[in-house]
Amino acid sequence: MIFSIWRQRLTRFDRKLVAALALLVLSSFLLPLQQAAGSRLVVSSGDNILFVAPLNQDQQFELSGPLGSTKLQISNGAVRVLSSPCPQKICIGMGKVSRNGELLACVPNRLVIRIEGKSTDRESGYDLLSR
Amino acid sequence: MFGRPQLVFLLLLLVAGLAWLRLPGDEQRVRTALIMGTLVEIRLAGDPQQFNPAIDAAFAEMSRVEKLFSSQLAESDVSQLSFSTEPFQVTEESAALLQRGRQIARQSDGAFDMSLGALKQLWGVETENPQVPSAEQLQQALAGVGPEALQIEGRTVSKSNPHLQIDLGGIAKGYAVDRALEILRRAGVTSAAVNAGGDIGLLGSREDGKPWRIGIQHPRKQDELLTTLILTDRAVVTSGDYERFFEKDGVRYHHIFDPRSGYPARDCQSVTVVAADVASADALATAAFVLGPQQGLQLLEQLPQVEGLLVAADGTLHRTSGLAALEP
Repeated sequence: MIFSIWRQRLTRFDRKLVAALALLVLSSFLLPLQQAAGSRLVVSSGDNILFVAPLNQDQQFELSGPLGSTKLQISNGAVRVLSSPCPQKICIGMGKVSRNGELLACVPNRLVIRIEGKSTDRESGYDLLSR
Repeated sequence: MFGRPQLVFLLLLLVAGLAWLRLPGDEQRVRTALIMGTLVEIRLAGDPQQFNPAIDAAFAEMSRVEKLFSSQLAESDVSQLSFSTEPFQVTEESAALLQRGRQIARQSDGAFDMSLGALKQLWGVETENPQVPSAEQLQQALAGVGPEALQIEGRTVSKSNPHLQIDLGGIAKGYAVDRALEILRRAGVTSAAVNAGGDIGLLGSREDGKPWRIGIQHPRKQDELLTTLILTDRAVVTSGDYERFFEKDGVRYHHIFDPRSGYPARDCQSVTVVAADVASADALATAAFVLGPQQGLQLLEQLPQVEGLLVAADGTLHRTSGLAALEP
């Protein structure tokens, strides 16, 4: 029935429109896969997101917390705390993180640094890290 | 049957429907808070408007537990018990947790110990000025500790030595996660994970119906996992020597103490315990870490619904007999 409607009721323009829409739908399924390829870094304090950055661009930046400025570095797809005003520097000692769901935190300076990755990581990787 | 405008409209509806389906429906909400000196993360799927109040309530419950059991807060039950030189009445909740802790202390032959407050203060591993105490200081700090250090009659707790300092660091965080999960459960949440600095409690399975996949950190290689555990409705806790420590004269001193020597336990690099509740997993991970790979494994093997993975000081892996069933 659909085929007969296709043949009888639709003009050439309609068919082109249908094809274009179909292409749009298909490409919209492929698009997120490409976007997901790059993981990102999300820095928050409490419920506020302070900063979001892609992991595939090397850079350094500073974030303010109640104790002062914490300096972060993104390098080769991994993030680490370079310097921090907190007394024990546990956040610096946590080293670098790069995997989906991994966290760095500076409790005294109230900063939480999280890696968010592609959802396909969940099939081959893990949801949470016990450490 | 359909005219052109209707067909085009239907097509547009189809496109909109497919685009809606394509939106990340399985995306989880993750919220974090800093409670008990650690980062707490709650993740769950569902309508944010519906579940945000539940997450708020879960965080509030963990803060309440912190106020009850923190040895840093002078008004907490634990601090008041530590300062008290006479039998002291704690809340029913505190008495129940102390009972559970004492049970694990007995099961582990004293490897898990809630009376090491003075010892932990002496070392100061988690402070700005950690130190390696003298033998005499250690002897003093260990006076009267052990699984029978606390007598609990109803809500009344007596200490064998009036100067004993109580520290629930090895069980309170896990208990707080259990409480948070209970609050979420009561709010109608069926799929959630609460992670307090590595103490993980799982409610149900993932929102897609599959079990949760929990990566277990390799204790010496930061970029590697020891294994992945496939779990539903379980608790996982890892205790390691690599998280909180200080170094002096080339020696690393970490925060998990052996009550027999007063020094950091040396026989394991890390211990991961899977149990039905997070408080038990928390205490058992500390106990097995202190006991070392052989005795620690024996302890975990004899307990129902408990599995474990122990990494010995030489890096060898020791698994309980049922752990393989949880690995992919």
